[in-house]
Amino acid sequence: MISLIIFYIISALVLIGSAGVIFSRNIVYASFSLLLALLGTAGIFVLLLAEFLAIVQILIYGGAVVTVILFALMLTKIDDFRSLSNINYWPISAFLTLLALIVLIIGIYQTKIDTQNLGLVKFSKFSNDLFEYWGIPFEIASLVLLVALIGAIVILKDRGNDS
Amino acid sequence: MIDLIHIQILSAIMFCIGVYGVMTRRSAILILMCIELMLNAVNINFIGFAAFRDFSESQRIFGHVIVVFIITIAAVELALAIAIILRLYKNKSSVNIDEVDLMKW
Amino acid sequence: MGINLTYIPPIICGVSFVLTALFARKVPLASSLISVFTILCSFILFIFILTDFLSSDLNSIKFSIDWIVVSDMRITWGILLDSLSVTMLGLITLVALLVQIYSISYMKGDSRFGWYFSVHSLFAAAMITVVLVDNLILLYFAWELVGLGSYLLIGFWYEKRAASEAAKKAFITTRIGDVALLIGIILIFKSTGTFDISSIFHIARNGGISENILTISTFLIFLGAMGKSAQFPFHVWLPDAMEGPTPVSALIHAATMVAAGVYLVARMMPLFSLAPYVLDFVVFIGLFTFIFAGTMAIVMHDIKRVLAYSTISHLGLMMMSLGFMGVASAIFHLIVHGISKALLFLGAGSLMHEMDGETDIRKMGGLINKMPITAITFIIGSVSLAGIIPLSGFFSKDEILLTVFEKGGILILLPALAGAFLSSLYMFRLTFITFFGSLKNDNSKVGESPILMTLPLILLALLAIFMSILLLEISTFKGFIYFISGHKAHLNLLLIVFSSILSFVALILAWFIYIKDSKYLIDWYKSKMKWNYNLILNKYYIDELYQYIINQIIIRFAQFVALFDRLVVNDIGVDRSSLSIRFLGLRLKLIQTGKMHGYAISMLFGFLILILTWAIL
Repeated sequence: MISLIIFYIISALVLIGSAGVIFSRNIVYASFSLLLALLGTAGIFVLLLAEFLAIVQILIYGGAVVTVILFALMLTKIDDFRSLSNINYWPISAFLTLLALIVLIIGIYQTKIDTQNLGLVKFSKFSNDLFEYWGIPFEIASLVLLVALIGAIVILKDRGNDS
Repeated sequence: MIDLIHIQILSAIMFCIGVYGVMTRRSAILILMCIELMLNAVNINFIGFAAFRDFSESQRIFGHVIVVFIITIAAVELALAIAIILRLYKNKSSVNIDEVDLMKW
Repeated sequence: MGINLTYIPPIICGVSFVLTALFARKVPLASSLISVFTILCSFILFIFILTDFLSSDLNSIKFSIDWIVVSDMRITWGILLDSLSVTMLGLITLVALLVQIYSISYMKGDSRFGWYFSVHSLFAAAMITVVLVDNLILLYFAWELVGLGSYLLIGFWYEKRAASEAAKKAFITTRIGDVALLIGIILIFKSTGTFDISSIFHIARNGGISENILTISTFLIFLGAMGKSAQFPFHVWLPDAMEGPTPVSALIHAATMVAAGVYLVARMMPLFSLAPYVLDFVVFIGLFTFIFAGTMAIVMHDIKRVLAYSTISHLGLMMMSLGFMGVASAIFHLIVHGISKALLFLGAGSLMHEMDGETDIRKMGGLINKMPITAITFIIGSVSLAGIIPLSGFFSKDEILLTVFEKGGILILLPALAGAFLSSLYMFRLTFITFFGSLKNDNSKVGESPILMTLPLILLALLAIFMSILLLEISTFKGFIYFISGHKAHLNLLLIVFSSILSFVALILAWFIYIKDSKYLIDWYKSKMKWNYNLILNKYYIDELYQYIINQIIIRFAQFVALFDRLVVNDIGVDRSSLSIRFLGLRLKLIQTGKMHGYAISMLFGFLILILTWAIL
């Protein structure tokens, strides 16, 4: 019961954060709302007994991603508040999004899924599997990261003034 | 007690918020944030299924592993997107994507 | 040791082709030497293989490696060595060796000297492969390569329009047969599931192929053999093929390639023996071609064309023997004829070499004093082919006539004897007109050909005389007929006497007509039977008939198809569709606005439609 109350509180935080991202007039506020939503997600992970992923979530999203986004904000000119959202599009967007939400929720209620009580993943077992069974995909993911790193550098390199 | 359905609905709402944001926000950086929201919604869903479905342990671990990969890919995507946004800003002095319509006919 | 090296000759000849083709232009002489050297090695290997094969008591030896394996279909690179393929290997390597040595002198100074020898290597590789392979699909590939070699060599002097036309004609005519052959092979594969020759025989013998399929496929295979062996009605390409260099005619169009058809039928004899109707057809075609080509050989004035028609005629004789399942006699005649005809062609080449390419026999005469070696060897060759008794040609022809007599009876024997008479007559006519009589003034300065050309002539002449020794039993070798077929040869004295008498009658007749110059008979023939003479001189108008058919039917049809292609396929099918796509593109590109929000909204919209469709269904 307590866990349900905690879940509602954290969900509320996550949803408030998400709403802040899409409704706030100030882009810096929007990014802090994003941070709130991401940390809330980490809380959900903890509730679901995935503490390793919660830590990863806080470190990568809360630490790296939001920081990088703030850097991007600092490096670009922050636009006029009014032009942050496109007023012409919002009615149709809202309508379609609501429709999608309704469809999703109907789908969720329609689908019968066999559930059980909260299951635990042992951390040692998880790490063993990750590096044995999923070893090659893991290495490939690291390769993708490397490629992205190089790609980002290449994209940002100022070719015009180099020579 | 928390049930799978709670998690699913939270994830659906969060995902739809992200979608709405992508459709209405003008600043490229904000769109990026919305995409991160959508990815997180998906992650919550994966962890929820891994926690509540009557799976064996290795199947549960699969749910966790795929979240690790999604986080990696999100980081990759963010790095490239930020790079593209900065390049865009250099060329156009703006990150407003309404002004970027080079890919039209 | 020899048998395990059987795969070497085709490989070294192929390698020689590649090497010589690469360096032909730079060092022509070296390329000719490489080519001769490889064929010499092949011949020496043949001797090893032969001695090994004779000392082993196996009927046939097979070894193969996998090439393509798709589920239960296997295609192999393999070799099937039995008495038939050993014999053919010997004939091919020997004649090719002698012809190549001869060519060094004959082709001296030609601008494409090196290329000539590299094509010879290609041809040798392909031809050896044809006789050695153990599966039909590889045999077909080699068969086509042989055709390519023939095409390249007929059209060797492609600056001459006649040569390039002849090359095209040869290629296309044999192609018709080749397509039939391919269809036949595929039919066999369809009903047996294998390309391997010995397995096919095994399946066929156990009734694994239905009678209809067997008849049709053997008929189609025989069509392929007819194309390559220039049997009526595909014979038209061979006389024209004489536009190529004369050694080429000796090698390809007398001794080896045209014999490939005979070889193919002999190789597939276990299948043919199960299809009696096809065998009757083989007999009919063979007999008809034998006489039909013989009549044309009598009236031609071009020395090479006489020999070409003679070749067609003798191939018909071999086919007839095969039709009566006389494989051994057919193959024996194939060898003897190959040797003798190669000798005659090389002799003709020697004549042409000294007479600036003159081929009209009416401009020759009395050359026996000027070119004694050429003349004597040529006479030996023609006497052998005419079937005068001690020479090998007599025995081989007699073997066939004996087969015909035993299997077909007197009714088939009589026309065959008539054909044999014709064959003697035109051989003597050719010899008498060319070498006897009075010397023409233009030819007073003619001399003997160089040693490289006369040496092969002498060797071939010796072989033409002594080949009949093969029929005798020498220690373990129980005679050629036994070697091929497993039955002892035997003789029919009456038949020998009768066919000898016929040959001598032909000799005397030719003597009176062409040496004594008693024009009486010829004048009578030319005046009273003018239509007949013209008919034969114009090759029974078959070329004209084909030309007419091509002009009237094929070209018309092609024009119709071209029109259809232009109007329907091109204008409507291609142009219209491209125009409509272009129009559509002009309209549809307006959708691409470049506005990202629009894209995102349409994406969501599409997602919803998909979900809803899925839910409704």
